Amino acid sequence: MRALVIDDSTTMRAIVSEMLGGLGFDTAQAGDGREALDLLESGQRFDLACIDWNMPVMDGLEFVAAVRARRQWPDLTLMMVTTEGERGQIVRALAAGAHEYVIKPFTSDAIASKLVLLGLLPVGERR
Amino acid sequence: MSPLGAVGAQQVAQIAEEFFAAMIDREPGLLTPWSQGPITVADPLHAWVGLGTVPASRVQLTTGADTAGALTRALLSMGEAEPVADDNVVDALGEIANVLGGNVKALLAEHVGITLPEVSRQVPPGSGRVGAGEALFAWRGRPLVISLYTI
Repeated sequence: MRALVIDDSTTMRAIVSEMLGGLGFDTAQAGDGREALDLLESGQRFDLACIDWNMPVMDGLEFVAAVRARRQWPDLTLMMVTTEGERGQIVRALAAGAHEYVIKPFTSDAIASKLVLLGLLPVGERR
Repeated sequence: MSPLGAVGAQQVAQIAEEFFAAMIDREPGLLTPWSQGPITVADPLHAWVGLGTVPASRVQLTTGADTAGALTRALLSMGEAEPVADDNVVDALGEIANVLGGNVKALLAEHVGITLPEVSRQVPPGSGRVGAGEALFAWRGRPLVISLYTI
């Protein structure tokens, strides 16, 4: 499994990448939505994208909308990982095409639970 | 009435304690209320995010540069003696402010925007004007202040 971690914070990218690595994912990183879209358009394949919302250049919601609009990556699972915790924002992200939503702060168990729900980890997976 | 509504020091403290337990310390209880008298932060670093309330408001974290380095190491699961780059400290402290601010924002009655985090050795303009809440902490014994105020 390959995951793309999209966040303008190098700290948060490192944390999420380490958690995903512990769950068996190979990871790549992007600092904003545009950079992530460039990676996808270059032909790199990912099973999962973990997406921050508030980023410069292209934010997470714009990235989700762009991915869904192009229909080139139907198997890419989109999981928001963000501080945007209001119900209305969660609804917006899911309506735009995100599959799951994790609110910062989070634990590795919370990430693992979401990945189990998404079918990207076997039931009971914890590391 | 403050645009921050009923959000005050207690809510800010709860958010901070949850964040530190989940992502920094990986165990509860290392961020504790400050109980050592007047708080003084030596060689301070300030990190903040703005909230798009009317008037605008801000969530600000202030701690010592040494503590900021230790927080960065803890966030990144680094050894306590490992050197950490200034850029990493700035990013980590900004991300802490971002998470705190995002969770404060979620408590507001209306949706507002949030700015990208800023970090500086200088006190940000407008700091401390109309405070809605200030939570004073000791993190592993070191002073750390989280402020919520309108500007």
